[in-house]
Formats: sequence, structure tokens, C-alpha cells
Amino acid sequence: MHIVLPHDASLDGHLVDGVIGYLTLTTGLAFLAVLVFLLIAIVFHRERAGRTRAHHTHGNRPRDRALTFAVALVMFVAIDVTLVARTAGELSGRFWRYPDGDPNALRVEVTARQWSWTFRTAGPDGRFGTGDDVVTLGELDVPVGRPIYLKLRSRDVVHSLYLPSFRTKIDAIPGSTTRLWFQAQEAGRFEIGCAQHCGVSHYKMRGLLIARPEGEYHDWLARAETDSRLRGDAALPVAGEADGWDWETGR
Amino acid sequence: MTATDQSQGGDAGGDAGGPGGGPGDGLEEIPPEPAGFLRRHVFSTDHKVIGRQFLFLGLSFLAVGGVMAMLIRWQLARPGVPVPVVGGLLFGRAGGLISPAAYTALFTMHGTIMIFFAVTPILIGGFGNFCLPLLIGARDMAFPRLNLASFWTMAAATAVLTASFFVPLGPPQAGWTAYATLSTAIGAPGVGQTLWVVAIYLNGASSVMGAVNYITTVIRLRAPGMTYLRMPLTVWGFFLTSILNALFVPVLAAAMVLLFFDRVFGTQFFVAGTTVGAGGDPILYQHLFWLFGHPEVYILIIPAWGIVSDLLSFFARKPAFGYRVTVAALVGVVILSTVVYGHHMFTTGMSPLLGESFMVLTMIISVPTSLLFLNWLGTLWRGASRMTTPMLFCLGLVFTFGVGGLTGLYLADVVADMYLHDTYFVVGHFHLIMAAALLLASFAAIYFWFPKMFGRMMSEALGKWHFWPTFVSLNVVFMGQLLIGYAGMQRRLYDPSVYEFLRPLLPLNRFISRAAYVLGASQLIFVVNFFWSLFRGQKAPKNPWAVGTLEWTVASPPPHHNFDRIPVVVRGPHELGHPAARALGKDWLGQDEGPVRPSADNATDGSTDGSPPDGSTEGAA
Repeated sequence: MHIVLPHDASLDGHLVDGVIGYLTLTTGLAFLAVLVFLLIAIVFHRERAGRTRAHHTHGNRPRDRALTFAVALVMFVAIDVTLVARTAGELSGRFWRYPDGDPNALRVEVTARQWSWTFRTAGPDGRFGTGDDVVTLGELDVPVGRPIYLKLRSRDVVHSLYLPSFRTKIDAIPGSTTRLWFQAQEAGRFEIGCAQHCGVSHYKMRGLLIARPEGEYHDWLARAETDSRLRGDAALPVAGEADGWDWETGR
Repeated sequence: MTATDQSQGGDAGGDAGGPGGGPGDGLEEIPPEPAGFLRRHVFSTDHKVIGRQFLFLGLSFLAVGGVMAMLIRWQLARPGVPVPVVGGLLFGRAGGLISPAAYTALFTMHGTIMIFFAVTPILIGGFGNFCLPLLIGARDMAFPRLNLASFWTMAAATAVLTASFFVPLGPPQAGWTAYATLSTAIGAPGVGQTLWVVAIYLNGASSVMGAVNYITTVIRLRAPGMTYLRMPLTVWGFFLTSILNALFVPVLAAAMVLLFFDRVFGTQFFVAGTTVGAGGDPILYQHLFWLFGHPEVYILIIPAWGIVSDLLSFFARKPAFGYRVTVAALVGVVILSTVVYGHHMFTTGMSPLLGESFMVLTMIISVPTSLLFLNWLGTLWRGASRMTTPMLFCLGLVFTFGVGGLTGLYLADVVADMYLHDTYFVVGHFHLIMAAALLLASFAAIYFWFPKMFGRMMSEALGKWHFWPTFVSLNVVFMGQLLIGYAGMQRRLYDPSVYEFLRPLLPLNRFISRAAYVLGASQLIFVVNFFWSLFRGQKAPKNPWAVGTLEWTVASPPPHHNFDRIPVVVRGPHELGHPAARALGKDWLGQDEGPVRPSADNATDGSTDGSPPDGSTEGAA
């Protein structure tokens, strides 16, 4: 058995792995210390011939309390405080710094429904709800090296777009719009999952993320735009509204 | 030594801390035991009978929920293979195969049953009822008839829940959390989900009735001298849990009422989405659910903590280390538990400020929790531990709670949670707490109080044979789930092999399933021990464990009225290994045992410790 994290293809996934690794190390050490203490107490401080009486203390002396509080405080600072500081920096600097003003970012409308994902990009004119929108079902095509900025809605129940190879997920919720950004650092085919129980076929709500180098992506986009136009995809009722939904001002 | 002669020798000074309405001389009229069979055994108002009823109800549903877990594990280990033995009976129409709909119903009902209909009735209903009056020196609960109503409301809830299996469109399938809008008519049009809502509501009503009763009982019916800081930690556990229950179960009830309206009367509190063109808010449901749901975790674990804190002290033959710090830590957890629930909702796109606040608050709760944990270690240190069956289960809890608690940090961290949320890491984490730790505590409580409940000892040998496979296999199962989640597998997948990246996990899933079958089979040893001991076990003496709390001063099982004379409490619950007791040829002092040698008693305490051991300086707040 080989238990590993899924392959990381993202710009910031290593930060997530870093937090997990840090926690595994620190909590592992703390637990090891507890275990040693516990084992000594169980093995040596048990009732047997020659040890019939326990040491009588209520552990209420100032030094008992000081010791307990000191250990708890050291653990709190070493694990929790350090973690919060690190996490807060990563959130404000990376994960929650959405590429709102970034002209380079690829914007995608994601519509979740039982049990599939629909992805809509604006096409060459850069505007949603026009005839050159590119709509794909169950497949999200992205260029490598550009921020991908998703806004999500759900038509029916709560779903959760899960990108294991990008170490992230975000719920798609009926009645409101959520958002997520990530960036692919390498080309490849990566799985998209649904992480939130969304009904009897939840397990089948799989999608595919295909990351291509910029040049290949452009070729793909040109083909897909033609296909989409021929099929009249732009007129599809995405998320229920006849003309798609206004990506920028979604609630 | 009997309760009667102890209280005669009791120190009148202990009265100072007694509750105002308490029985004065302990000689007030003893209510006669009812005569009819129904009033004695079915519709009884006796807390001991009701406690046993809750225990049997909870254990029965534990078995049902356990079988469901085995079926879930079968599907994850052998997708597409008919279930052996019971497959034809349960899934006959599908040729013994678990269908996706059946699987969805299984994990929904497994969670619902285990949390609301197994652990809650066993620990809170069963041991809360049985222990509270006995441990504080009362003759019954403050409201015996409310207690009766509480049990029968729970029984009604189980009937409604059971009925949901036999309705058109099948049992509920929205998961135990029943997130809207999946739990509304959009995702669950059948009657089953409506019955689920009613069952949870009734279950909550039962819990609130119990909570009000427990709180009142602890405040009003403590024996003279039983100050708050002389209460066993078990009592503290049930007391604090009841406060949380009384405050937060009504929030769940509110969510259930709104969901019921949405389902039955066509309101749109939680209904949204363009499929139906409604303008409700499904996230509101999640807020209500977790505003209850996170305290619920503590509602269940705090009694377990209390019991284990007492039992570790009893079997280490040492006073509970840092009793007051432990009490303060429990109170701290109770307060903090009300403001951390948002960590269940990090992936709903909550505002950054909210997300970081919930993360910080969740981290802070690890301080009182580690104090509690360190005090357990302090209790064991330099003890003379007796490795009885209840002690083994308590030590098992210390271990699994350590792992379960620390893995909570991963999920409290917003960054790690982006990846781990809704994976098996979450499943492993909360099973280590809600399943492993709670089951170990429940078994510890059963082995410990069985003699008092039923008047017979359980077999120690079978108890140890029960402990080891249970302990090993449950750690394999739930730590295996942590690994599966670390590798990325989502929860609630009927067939993980739909995903390519999850296919290499099948061997590990099979291994976990085998451990789960061992865990299930090990419980048969417990069933045999339970029933054999019930009818053939050795007759239990009054105080088989040689400890000093009040329930062990009366006969096993106690008479209908518990105490012939209400005891007068003179010291704390953990006077074990007490130097003054040696003169009596034992190593413990009863809570109501008159001062043996007052001067020596005080002198010894003063020399070994900086503060009075029995909390006698503390008033009954």
C-alpha cells in the first residue's frame, strides 16, 4: 500500500502540503511525548507486588498547576499560534487574493447540477453571454501558468468542486455565488470531484480538468469556440437564467 | 460501613455547602415503591429504571448502526459484489447487491442512529439518569415524571425513525446532516425524509426534557455537604452537557421546524436555486445545524471526559490530578464550544474575517482540552494502577482521544481544510472522537457501573477479551480512514473507483473493512458477557471497586429510594491512597465517611498538598 497525496499540479498546493506536513510533524512529536509518558505510567506505575500504594497528591499545588499550564501553553504556541500566523499570511497573500483586476486571469462560470458540471468561458471577445461563449460539459480546459478564476452556482442542491491535484475545493450553492482561484503549473489531465453529498449519484459527479500550454490552449479555444457556436451553446440556459448569468456581479 | 451509620457520624460542618432545599436531617418520608408491573418496569418514574431503559434502547440501536457500518464497509471493499449472509434478506430485489440508493440510505441512517439514537441514549440517557441522583446523594431526579416523558418521547422518536424505512421512495438519504436543499423536496421528495425530520425533533424534545431535569437535579438535590467542588467529575460532565443541551438542541429543533415547513407546507426558508426559482437560503440551514452540531460534539464527549476523569483516578488509586483545573477546563470547553461551529463551513465561501475568526477560536479550544488531557496524565503518574476492564477502556480512550483531538487541528486550519474538507480525513477524525472515544467511554461506564445497575459483576476475563480486539481494530479502522482521506478520497462515495486517483486505495479500503469486521465481531464478546453476567454473574458487593463516591455506599442494585438516609458529604470524590485511610486498613475514604482522625487528616493533607483536598473551602456557588 502506497499512501500519498495526489500529484500536485498547482501553483499554491505546496502551501497546503506544507501545513499538513508541519502539523503531522508537530502533533506527531507531541503525541509521541504523550505516548512515552503514558507507557511509563502504565508499565511502571501499576499496582503490583512492591507497589501497592499510589503517591498521594491532588495536583493542586501551585507548581503542579504551573507545570500543567506551562506544557499546555508551550504546545499552544508551538502548534496553534504558529499555525494560525502561517495560515493567515497564506490566506491573505495567496488563497484569498482573488485575481479580480488581473487581465491575464481566465474567468469561468461554473454551474453545478445533479450530477454534472458545466463550464463557460467568455470566448475571444472576453464577455459573457455573447455568441462566442465556450461551454463545456464535465470538462474544464485551462491554460498553464495563468490564474484560473471560477465563480460557481448550483441549480439544485449543494455541490462542492473538488480539485485534489490543486489541493482545493469550494462549494457550489443554490441561490448564491461562490468563487475560487488556482493556477496550473503543468499540463495534464486532472480529475474534478464532487466533495459534498448531492444525492444518489453523487459518486458519479466526476469531471476532468485539462491543462494545456498557452499555445495549445489557444488552438483548443479556437476549435471549441467554433463548436460551441455551431451548437448554439451560448444560448443554453446556464444556471437557469436564459442568457447565462452576469459573471462579475453575481450575488 | 452503611450509609446510615456514616451519616450519623458525619461532620455537621459539611452542611454549610448544602443546597437550600435539600433534605434537612435525611429522614423525610421515603416514597413507597409502586406495586404494579407496568409502573415498576415500563412506565416507571424511577431514575434507575429509566436509565436502564435508555441503556437498552441505546445498545439495541448501537447494534443496528454497527451492522449498517459493516454494510458500508462491505461496499467500499467489494463494490459490485453481493453482500454475503444477509444480502438476500436485506437487498433481495437487487440480488444481494447494495444499490446506490441503499448505500446512501445506509450512511444517512448509520450517522443518524449512532449519534442520536445510540450514543446519546447510552451515555446521557442511560448513565446520566442512573448516576446523577446516586452520585449526588438524591433519592431521584428533580422531576421524575418529566424523566418518564423524556424516555417515552425518545421511544416515539425511534418508532418514527424506524417507520421511515418502510415508506414509498425509501428511507431518508440526505446524510445525517441533512443539508438543504438536498433534504428539501428538491433532493428528497419521499416521506422518509419528513419522518426523519420528525424523529430528530422528537429526539431533541427528549434531550431537552432530560437536560432541564439534570440541571435542576444537580442544582437542587445535592446532599448536604455536596458542594459543587465536591461533585464527582462524572456529575460535572452530565451537568455541563445538560446546559449545552438545553441551550443548543432548541436551535436544531428550529432548523427541523423550518425544514418541516419547507417540505410539507411549501415554504422556502432553505429552498433556493434556479431549478425551482426560490429565494431561500440553504446556508442558513448549515448555520443552524452547526450552531447546534458543534456543541453536540461536546454534548456527547463531555460526559465521557467526566466519567474517564473519575475512573482514571479510581483505578490509579490516586486523587484526580488538578480537580479544579479540570473543572475549569470543562467549563472553558463548554463556553468555547458555542463559538467555533463555523469551522464546519470553511468551504461555503464564508467571508475571510469570519473564516479566520472561527479558525482562531477553534485553535483556542485546544488549550482547555490539553489541560484536561494533561491532568489525566498527571492522575496516572505515580499511581498504583489497577488494570481492570473499565480502566483499560479508559486508557484506550486517552489514546484515541489524543489522536482524534490532534487531527482536529488539521481541519481547524483553513488552508489544510481546503484540501481535507469532506474527505475521509474528516470521517476518521470525528469517528476517533464520536465513535472510538465515546464507545470506549460507554464500555468503561458499563463495566464500571454494571454491578450497581444490575447487582452482578461482569466477567473481567471476557471484558479484557472484549477490550483488546476492540481497541486495536477501531484504531486501525479510524486511522485507516485518516490515511484514505489524506490520499484525497471524498466522503459518501458509493463507488470510489469512478475516480482514477482513488483506485490505488482499494487495498487499503479492503484492509480497513476487514478491521471493521473484526471490530463488529468483537462486540459479540461483549454481548455474551453482558447477558451472561446479567443472569449468571457473581453477585456484586456494595463497593466492588473500593471507591468513595456515594453510589457505592448503598446496596447493589440500590433500593427504590436509593438512600435510607440522605448522606452528609464531608469530602471530595477522589480520596484514594489517602494516608489517613491506612489506619482503617484501606486506601480510600468515602465522601460521606466521617473524619477518621480529623487532626491527622488535616495535617497530612497540609503536608502533601498546598490546598485542602476536598474543596471544603469552596461554597456551593
